[in-house]
Amino acid sequence: MSRDKGLLRIYKKTLLILGTLFLVWAPTAWLWAAEHGGEAAAHDGGAATKDLIARCINFGLMVIILFVVIRKSSMKDFFSSRRESIREKLDELKKGKELAENKVKELEQKLKAFEEEKKRILEQFKAEGIAEKERIIREAKERAKQILEQAEFTIQREMDAARGRLRQEVAELATKKAEEMISKEITDKDQEHLVSEFIDRVEKLH
Amino acid sequence: MISSKISRRYAKALFGIGREDGNYETYGKCLEEFARFCGENENFFKVISSKIFSTEERIRVLEAVLAKSDFPDVVKNFLRVLLDKDRIGAISGIAQHYRKLTDEVSNITRANIITARPLKQEALEELKQGLEKLTGKTVVPDVSEDDSLIGGVVVKIGDMILDGSVRAQLEGLKESLKRGEYS
Repeated sequence: MSRDKGLLRIYKKTLLILGTLFLVWAPTAWLWAAEHGGEAAAHDGGAATKDLIARCINFGLMVIILFVVIRKSSMKDFFSSRRESIREKLDELKKGKELAENKVKELEQKLKAFEEEKKRILEQFKAEGIAEKERIIREAKERAKQILEQAEFTIQREMDAARGRLRQEVAELATKKAEEMISKEITDKDQEHLVSEFIDRVEKLH
Repeated sequence: MISSKISRRYAKALFGIGREDGNYETYGKCLEEFARFCGENENFFKVISSKIFSTEERIRVLEAVLAKSDFPDVVKNFLRVLLDKDRIGAISGIAQHYRKLTDEVSNITRANIITARPLKQEALEELKQGLEKLTGKTVVPDVSEDDSLIGGVVVKIGDMILDGSVRAQLEGLKESLKRGEYS
């Protein structure tokens, strides 16, 4: 509806301009014809006037034809569709802008979430790293303790073994020496005493 | 090597005959005498116990010896049977088992007494009496010397060993020292 009103306004303006032009041009042409008409009248009489009138009629017809042609032609549709397409284009662009803005917001949210995830992962890695470090230190301490205990045990065992070997050597040497001394010093009286003791032990067994 | 089981079986056979006729001690003495003779005459023992020679030849050699002995006929026949059965090589073991059998019947036990120095007769008698009290049997001592004992005496009766030697005491002392009992 508003579009029809706009077109009507355009037509009216066009007619107004054309009418004004005609009103300006007609007296001018009339004056020009009157000025030259005197001269022409001398030569040609009223032929020029007729020619002018014919031209005016011709011009008027042309204007009318143009008006009709323009009104009937597809110019109106062309401009109308053009405006419609521009409006649609604008709507599309507006929608595209909204989509882009939404996309931007979405990406910003994702970026934010990504940053938070990154921060969380870093903190997790850091915590795991600390825990791993503590575990390694704890295990190293335990291992060191075990090594120390093992070393102490080995030392103790070696000392016991050495002590045992020494004791055996001492025992061997002592008994050997005792045997040598007894063999050298023993007498028949000692033998009798030993036999007597043995007999006493045998009798006690009974 | 003839097993101890076979030796014991032959010994028991002769001992059974001896118990029946009451001459088991005589037979035992004869067996020991023959075993000692074999030990002292190695060539004779080799001939009668070796299968290189024929049985007839070995019997002839045995008979030659038996003819000069005063062994009872039972013992002589026993020795002939041993040779015939190729058991004459076990005469030493048979005599040993026979002695054990006679000892059991006579309530006798044999004590192997090893001493570092010669024993006085009084000491030996005391020891014998002590061992008889301990075993409840008549002890027949078999005394030998071994100076490696250093001093004291060792008595072996069957499976029982009584060690009163200085060496044994020193060994005990050594083991105690090794165990650290005196540390």
